Amino acid sequence: MSIVRAAGPGAVLRPRSREAVIGYIFIAPIVAFFAVFVGYPFLRSLYLSLSEWSGFGEPRFVGLDNFQFMVGDPVFWKAVGTTFMFTAATTILQTVLPLLLAVLMNCRWRGTVIYRTLLFVPAVISFVVTGVLWQLIYEPNLGTLNEALRTVGLDGLAQPWLADPHLVVPALIVVSLWQSAGLYMLIFLAGLQGIDPTLYEAARIDGAGPVQQFRRVTVPTLRTVTGVVVLLNLINGFKTFDLIYVMTGGGPNRASEVLGTYLYGLAFGNESGGTPSFGYATAISMVIFVLCMIVTLAQLRISRRAS
Amino acid sequence: MTTADTQVPAGRARPRSRPGPAWHSASTMRTRRRIWRSTGYLLLIAISAATVFPFVWMVLTSVRRRDTVFGGGIIPDEITFDAYQRSWSQLDYPSHFLTTLVITTITVAVVVALATLGGYAFAKLRFPFRNLLYVILLSTLMLPVTAIILPLFLQLRSLHLLGTRQGLILVYIGTSLPFAMFLMRAFFTTLPDELIQAARADGAGEFTIFRKIMLPLAAPGVATVVIFQFMTTWNEFLYAQTFLQNPDYLPLQPVLYTIVGQYSTDWPLMCASLTMSVLPIVLVYMRMQRRFVAGLTLGAVKS
Repeated sequence: MSIVRAAGPGAVLRPRSREAVIGYIFIAPIVAFFAVFVGYPFLRSLYLSLSEWSGFGEPRFVGLDNFQFMVGDPVFWKAVGTTFMFTAATTILQTVLPLLLAVLMNCRWRGTVIYRTLLFVPAVISFVVTGVLWQLIYEPNLGTLNEALRTVGLDGLAQPWLADPHLVVPALIVVSLWQSAGLYMLIFLAGLQGIDPTLYEAARIDGAGPVQQFRRVTVPTLRTVTGVVVLLNLINGFKTFDLIYVMTGGGPNRASEVLGTYLYGLAFGNESGGTPSFGYATAISMVIFVLCMIVTLAQLRISRRAS
Repeated sequence: MTTADTQVPAGRARPRSRPGPAWHSASTMRTRRRIWRSTGYLLLIAISAATVFPFVWMVLTSVRRRDTVFGGGIIPDEITFDAYQRSWSQLDYPSHFLTTLVITTITVAVVVALATLGGYAFAKLRFPFRNLLYVILLSTLMLPVTAIILPLFLQLRSLHLLGTRQGLILVYIGTSLPFAMFLMRAFFTTLPDELIQAARADGAGEFTIFRKIMLPLAAPGVATVVIFQFMTTWNEFLYAQTFLQNPDYLPLQPVLYTIVGQYSTDWPLMCASLTMSVLPIVLVYMRMQRRFVAGLTLGAVKS
């Protein structure tokens, strides 16, 4: 290892403060970018959520009016309901199935790498590609899903998947599961590989079968990993936007409207008759942010108490 | 898809219930094992097949003749690359592809450079308010994009950068930096402090220590960040859709978003466009799978 001697102009400073100066120089670009493109916009969001503004002139401070309006806004409550349903379903499915899949994958199989590679592919694809692809699959007349159902004689099951208000959310949940199962499975798999094999040996000696080993060894030792997966699922569920925006835009007739699509429509779309309600839209985005904060803090508390 | 997935619990349960009375005489450990294993393989293959099926279908549809898309078997009788040609000219594909590539390359380069510097400083250098600054930078990681997109829009407007690729690149850099820095910091923390102390004792300057000693050791971390950033920027949709209005400047994702409405009957064209947009990512993924997975799982476990 070659070590270059350098006695730059900073050499007059004492070593400690020299280190501090270099530290600040190193982080300066990040802090500057952060301040301009994350920090300041976020503070502005806080202010906007307490204002009324359609984009012209200056925002007018209205206190908690936006949140008061929210309480009486039926569309908001419908979006809340759909968001929670989507979040609950994806969280359960995208935790349980990836866990089982990871346990299966963790046994010795020929070609494990191939299965793992294939299962992970959807996670590297954009939401737009996923959305367009599944729109074609779900297409009622010529889409592959209905074609396949008709081919096997199940014509009665063929449905206008994304146009039926009762089916649209489950159909979206399936796409979400398809896209993220591989990612969560890999997180579980990393956790499984960290389990001490002697634990299983001990359980086997005590006469535990595969199911008991799973319940008594795998599930308890994976508690932290499971917590992380659940938390990620909850946050992604509350934040969900891209997939639904691309596939249904919140339709039909708001049946798949979630908080993200509603607020985007209020700010940039055709809600409220073409006049953007920036203040109200931002207030809704604050609700999403607070929901994410709450589950994160709850998870932190739970994991801290466990350890 | 659904059926394949819901089979998981059912399939797991089956071997458990098999060794009933009917099996009693024949059920040695060997046959039980064999049933276990074949069920497992069946499940793995079924689930993998269900996962890749949409992609296979996409590629197969993209090489069909336009008039033979519907009806008929899954495998096309005749293969043609007409749809790629149509997408190439009608969608002005090369220009959007190039725009995406340029935007992504610049973003990745700047993010990686700045995140490496910052990650090193937060991991290895001591300065006042270090922890406070770090917490502030990371506290916004779970901020939903929809929560800052509106002020970002206003920000770009007041900087006269709205509708420009430069503005979009700046937004990408600004919003990606905290997480990239977090990843780099994680890599630098694993490197031993003694290296730095020894170099300092030898009188090496701080920047020299960073560049000549620590950076080479953090190369795997840099590679992970490059890949992760490449993927997220290439796939980004919402900022591009909101901040760029000029159709000439659009990257691929917003263009792909519009094709369903525009070419609703030309499925080969749509599938060809999707296939081409996915190709770079899938190729990189296949070649550098380990880094990819490391980046994404680390990304996931950030909290």
